[in-house]
Amino acid sequence: MTSSAALLTAMRLSDSMLPIGTYTASYGVEQYLNESEIETADELGELLAGYLRGVIGPAEIVALGHAHRSAAAGDIEGIVAADERLGAATLPAEFRDSSTKAGRKLLELLAETEGEPVDDTGEGVATDADPLAGAAGDGTVAEFAAACEDGRADGHYPVVLGIVCQRAGLSAREAALANAYGSVSGLLAAAQRLGRFGHTAIQSQLSALFPVIEEVSDRYHDAELDAMCSFAPLADVMGMAHERADRRLFMS
Amino acid sequence: MGYRDVAKVGLGGPVGSGKTALVQRLVPRLDEAGYNVGVIANDIMTQEDADRLRESFADRLPADLVAGVETGACPHTGIREDPSMNLAKIDEFTERHPELDVVLIESGGDNLAATFNPELADYFMFVISVAEGDDIPRKRGPGVTQADLLVVNKTDLAPHVDVDLDVLRDDAKTVRGDDPTVFTNCKAEEGIDEVVDSIERSVLFA
Repeated sequence: MTSSAALLTAMRLSDSMLPIGTYTASYGVEQYLNESEIETADELGELLAGYLRGVIGPAEIVALGHAHRSAAAGDIEGIVAADERLGAATLPAEFRDSSTKAGRKLLELLAETEGEPVDDTGEGVATDADPLAGAAGDGTVAEFAAACEDGRADGHYPVVLGIVCQRAGLSAREAALANAYGSVSGLLAAAQRLGRFGHTAIQSQLSALFPVIEEVSDRYHDAELDAMCSFAPLADVMGMAHERADRRLFMS
Repeated sequence: MGYRDVAKVGLGGPVGSGKTALVQRLVPRLDEAGYNVGVIANDIMTQEDADRLRESFADRLPADLVAGVETGACPHTGIREDPSMNLAKIDEFTERHPELDVVLIESGGDNLAATFNPELADYFMFVISVAEGDDIPRKRGPGVTQADLLVVNKTDLAPHVDVDLDVLRDDAKTVRGDDPTVFTNCKAEEGIDEVVDSIERSVLFA
């Protein structure tokens, strides 16, 4: 069973308050709206279902699952391989940039928030109440951070999330759910800030996407790295067009 | 080298108060005083804005020390709750230019509640315009009350918008106590030296 501490970590990692800059990424959604390719909440929901089935599942979650298994085995080369392959499968430069910026910021945040939990007397105590804080001193996390630092890895967000979730005691499937939920809620929130979508319409789309989030997490969290693919050609074109967009509020 | 190794000065304030004009007056003065300067502008929305920003510093700063940062349509999140993308940009600056002394970070135009995260800005100035009305300071917005320096810009417009500068001065004193307020007219370069002095005293000599 998932421990309370692990569940808290999953919530913390999925919380939009986590300061790793993910609110600046739209992964092409801004360009879809700029070009009036999506106008209704239903069209937005369909687009995100496509992202889940074409990219988030078969590319991101495959990388995350492999990173999770590699972290469990202490296999840093396996983690680096997942990171490299996800970078190669992600065509638009801005998508790679948004992903690696968030991944590296999460690594930095872990390193900077290392601290012992405090009990009610204000004294530091050694407990496992905050496994995320513990992950900062974790060898695998630190080793991957060093690999990013010296250029051996890029630090894609799903890969970092896979490692951190594994160290915090979450399963690969739970990590996949956290990743897919975070992606969907982030993109819905981006669309809401950019377009004209009501808050209840956005929440309805989120509800409707839950089964798809579950479907892709189930299907891909234990897939082999060789099976990774990404197929969302229009999203890739939008992502590339965004680089030269006349108006842009998002980094991708 | 990283963002912790350079002085970081934040400029916040409402849309149209003159933040960009102030940055354009500060850069030449800091440059002439011998400082290596970088500029980040949040929410450069169009390519035209981005080109204009780079061109305006073309004879002063290397092109890779002038950059825009998109904040996902959340200007105050970018400078307060989650400044990580601004900090990542400063890290890029320091990596390429270890000699960098100071970075000016211009916020996207925002409301009176916008303040800078102390990890992003060592020194934070809030720029308001006379043309926004003489009741701005007494609204006690966190930007106005918490800023290290309040800059009241466009003083030349006061007679045209029925604003009494003495009222602004008295209200600023009331809501800010001993914290300084400077009156500027960027167009005529008035008051700019005072702003530069404040920056030098507070962050560059500190």
